[in-house]
Amino acid sequence: MSIRHGLLALLSRGPRHGYQLRVDFEASTGATWPLNVGQVYTTLARMERDGLVEPGETDDQGRVVYALTEAGRAEMERWFTTPVVPSDRPRDELVIKLAMAVAAKEVDVAEVIRRQRTATMRTLQQLTRAKRDSTEGRAQLLVLDSMIFQAEAEQRWLDHCEAVLKEAR
Amino acid sequence: MTVVALAGVTRVHGDGETAVHALKGVSLQVGEGELVAVMGPSGSGKSTLLNIAGALDRPTSGTVHIDGRDLATVRDLAALRRRSVGFVFQDLNLITSLTAAENVMLPRELDGVRSRRARAEAMAVLTEIGAESLADRFPDELSGGQRQQVAIARALVGERRLLLADEPTGALDTLAGDEILRLLAARCAAGASVLLVTHEPRYAAWADRVVFLRDGLVADATDVPMASAR
Repeated sequence: MSIRHGLLALLSRGPRHGYQLRVDFEASTGATWPLNVGQVYTTLARMERDGLVEPGETDDQGRVVYALTEAGRAEMERWFTTPVVPSDRPRDELVIKLAMAVAAKEVDVAEVIRRQRTATMRTLQQLTRAKRDSTEGRAQLLVLDSMIFQAEAEQRWLDHCEAVLKEAR
Repeated sequence: MTVVALAGVTRVHGDGETAVHALKGVSLQVGEGELVAVMGPSGSGKSTLLNIAGALDRPTSGTVHIDGRDLATVRDLAALRRRSVGFVFQDLNLITSLTAAENVMLPRELDGVRSRRARAEAMAVLTEIGAESLADRFPDELSGGQRQQVAIARALVGERRLLLADEPTGALDTLAGDEILRLLAARCAAGASVLLVTHEPRYAAWADRVVFLRDGLVADATDVPMASAR
């Protein structure tokens, strides 16, 4: 995903200027992806060059309001109708670390798992607390939920590793 | 104040060569207003732990205190349980021929409380958990999550402030399961104490403290400070 796709989605709600887009972006994604307003304007300039947005009127503070073009709408639609493939995600350090712990000599893998499990549970507790106390909108809550599901998956995977290694002993 | 305290608890089922050491020396405390989760795979001893913490079973060695009373000195465990401990299980055991309110009243009526007062207490606890609108419905007319809410109300009715929950989210989807944990956490904030047994990390994470049980021993807990080395 790129910033431009996010901006296309936000602009589908109606014309907006750069600062407003930045606020909307963070309100939707939470603290997971902070943007500075410079990134937003640079991206908008490229999108204008590529014909995805067009500048409209200037508001009373001299800010240019951008709107989606037909091509922009089509690009947004293409983005939402194309599933994400995991191939370009970065490698997970924990996965590599555990694989290496098994491969290495004189490493207590069970202990590595035990420490990680407790650390991951602490993360999960923090995320759950953030979710419980959240007063933000639905989009941000779903971002938190995603992080909770990921931490949960890691925890389950660690339990699985422990069981597999115990079996093998 | 500590509501439940286990110290050096062991539990051996059977004897001789076939003896099963379900707990091998577990110490654990649950304070007032605290939500503690116990996580562990099947066979780790978590159900035995819950049964002992709830006075359904006695330890082979070690001590258990509930509300400051040493269980070794208590003859009538059933009476202590009725007064002090509420249980919520995965199969929620609501009586299908009784309404939600009647199910919640039941433990109080068994305690000899008059019907009118038992009903008032049942309505009070149902209202506290925001489930008063379910009072006159039968279990069959409730969703899985709603039935579990009623089971929680029943566990907390009267004076009981200790709730032991064994996989209370078992059959629920994550949305309904999260709601149950939200409810349990809210009851803790209001002064109840909860000991929750679960194998699901997402629900354990609602707890103030998570204890990992492995092979009858506490392997780790989240309240032990530890440097991150990831």
